[in-house]
Parts: sequence; structure tokens; C-alpha cells
Amino acid sequence: MRQPSHLGTLAMAALVWASVGLTQPAHAVNAPDGAPNPTASSVNEDLLFRQAPTIGGRVSIPDAKAANLIQPQGREWRDFRESWLPWIGGLAILGMIAALALFYFTRGRIRLEHSEESGRKLLRFNGFERFTHWMTATCFIVLGLSGLNYIFGKRLLMPLIGPDAFAALSQWAKYAHVYLAWPFMLGVVFMLVVWVRDNIPNRIDVQWIRQGGGFLGDQHPHAERFNAGQKVVFWMVIGFGFAMSATGLVMLFPFAATDINGMQIVQGVHALIGVVFIAAILAHIYIGSLGMEGAYDAMGSGEVDLAWAKVHHDLWVKEQLAKTASGPQLGRGQVPAE
Amino acid sequence: MKAFAVAVLAAVALAVGASFLLGANQKYAYEAFSTSGARVSHPGTNLVGPRWTGDVTGPADGHKATTGS
Repeated sequence: MRQPSHLGTLAMAALVWASVGLTQPAHAVNAPDGAPNPTASSVNEDLLFRQAPTIGGRVSIPDAKAANLIQPQGREWRDFRESWLPWIGGLAILGMIAALALFYFTRGRIRLEHSEESGRKLLRFNGFERFTHWMTATCFIVLGLSGLNYIFGKRLLMPLIGPDAFAALSQWAKYAHVYLAWPFMLGVVFMLVVWVRDNIPNRIDVQWIRQGGGFLGDQHPHAERFNAGQKVVFWMVIGFGFAMSATGLVMLFPFAATDINGMQIVQGVHALIGVVFIAAILAHIYIGSLGMEGAYDAMGSGEVDLAWAKVHHDLWVKEQLAKTASGPQLGRGQVPAE
Repeated sequence: MKAFAVAVLAAVALAVGASFLLGANQKYAYEAFSTSGARVSHPGTNLVGPRWTGDVTGPADGHKATTGS
């Protein structure tokens, strides 16, 4: 009969020692009479966490997620969601509102100068462009309000309207958030397709920024169809829009792309981008309505005064007038200015 | 104004369409995760019945029997 080698014996002994060492609790505690204390020497949470980042069990249903018992990252996510996120969101949004109010009460509304009114209109945004803008904008407002309800609703709204009304409102807000996300995503794609060509940054934008968009100095800086400030808004909407879409899709189809830890991270990213997005769009809404006289007309009726366009987007006006003397951009029988 | 109205209508129509499409591809947990060996309760029921007798079709507490001597 063949004898096992010394090396094999040593290996077996080491394996047995290691397996015994791993299965024994780190500190076996005995009762005062010397008998083992079954509670103190049993497997505990600390010991389990030394072996794996989560504690799970076994389930017989096809939902493997149900086996998850303790996931410590969930506590960090809850802390972030319940303490940091409301503060970050509140500061971002209220800070922007305060900054806009300060600007309004110190600088006032940017009025049209007399020289910016000629009475002759120029088509700035066609019907499809306005449709795209308003579809995305209306969805954004509902998404923003229903999204803020996730963060602030139970703190601000529920004490005012009561738990039953808040529950019903939140249910409908959730439906609106989930389903209006689709036309919003479509709108962001439309915006990219329709306006990307006119939003490529160039040297003219650098000059526009150097002159503070007309705030520094006496002259309006040159600008094409969109000035540098508008280009920043466009790329912000595209960047944040796609980021919100990607993170939102991950949450719309839970656990299809990632595990519970990934879902929590994605939710945090979605919420953080969301509050910054809302704060930035507040500035866009301000400058497009209350902040600048005549700015709303561009997206309202689609037409702007030719003289205004010459002041604020002189290079674009030249380009439009050079294209054709009776093209579609000068509708309703109007004639070009020169 | 016309573009705004059309945009709002389109957004609502797309949202309703999305709700039907997504709803058609969704299953309740009791449908998705039940097997021949493990049952996930239908909402409103449990595995032991309303009187914990194992009879899931039995009458709930407070239900008065219609037959009697």
C-alpha cells in the first residue's frame, strides 16, 4: 500500500488547520463556569462582514434580490438622501432664486432700446423648433416639480395638505414623472438634431464672453444665431438631458443593468444632476421672460424684430438676408431690410 | 401659441402611449416570481388563509355563515 508523502501530509494538516481557523469565531467566549457561551461564540454580523460586503440568505423564488438581507451601502445612501440631498437641492434652487432676485432688483429688466424696434419681423424659430422647445419645456417643468416632491414633499407638502392628499398627489406625480420622461427624452434628441449645427463653439464666442455679452463696454458683441451664453444653455440641456435620461432609464427598469448598490448610486447621481438642472433652467426661464424684454417673442410667436436681431445676432441676420431676399425666413410678404 | 398647444398635446399623447407600452410588458411580483415550488402571494391574500387554517378560500373573520341548524 502506498504511503502518503510527507508533503501531502503537511498540506492536509495545513488545510484542516485553516478550515478550522476560518470557521471558529475570532474570540470564543466561555461562561464563568467554563462552559461555552452559545450566544457569544455564534456567528455574528461582524464576522460575516469580514467575509463579504453584504449579508445574504437563500431563497427558492426566482427573485435573487430577495436573498439580500443586509447591505451596508444602503445606510450610506439613506443618509445621503435624507440629509445631504435636501440641503444640496435647497441651496442650489433657493440660491439661484436669490441670485436672480438680486440681479432683478439691482440691474432691473433689460429693456429694448428704441433703436431695436423697427416694426419689421424676422422668423427666428420655425414651428417645429418651437414645438420641440415647448414639448421639452412643459415635460421638464412637470418632471422637475414631481422630482422635487421626491425630496421635499414629505417635509414641506405633507404637513400642509395631510398624509392622504399627499399620498394621492405623490402617486400621480410618480406616474407623471415616469411617463412624461419619454416625451422629454424625445425632445432632447430633437433639440440636438435641430440646433447642434448652430451651437458649435467658435472664436466669435470667445469674443462675446470677453465683452461680457454686452454688459462690459458700450457695444453689443458680434453673435451668430446663438451667442455664447445660449450655447452654454444648449450644451447644458443636452449634457444634463442625456445624463438624466440614462440614469432615469436605469431606474425605469430596476435591476436590469445593475445591482442594488448600483441602483442607489444611479439614484443619487440622477437627483444631484436634477437639482442643478432645475437651478440652471430657472436662470434660463428668467432671462427668457422677465429678465429681458422681447426675448419671449422669439419662442412665443417665433418672430423677432429685425432691428433687435441686428443688435443681438448681427452675423446671423446678415447670413439670413444673404441667403435670399424673399425666403421663408421673411414670411408674410415682408421685405428684407437691405 | 399653436406650437405650445400642439407640444402639450403631443407630450400627453406620448406619455399615455408610454404608459400602455410599459404596462403591457410588466408583471406583478406574484406573477413574475412564483414557481411550481414557491408561491408569491397574490395581493390581498396570504398562504394560510384568512383564519390561518390553510384554507385560502375560507371566509374571513367577521363573516357570518349562511348555513346553520
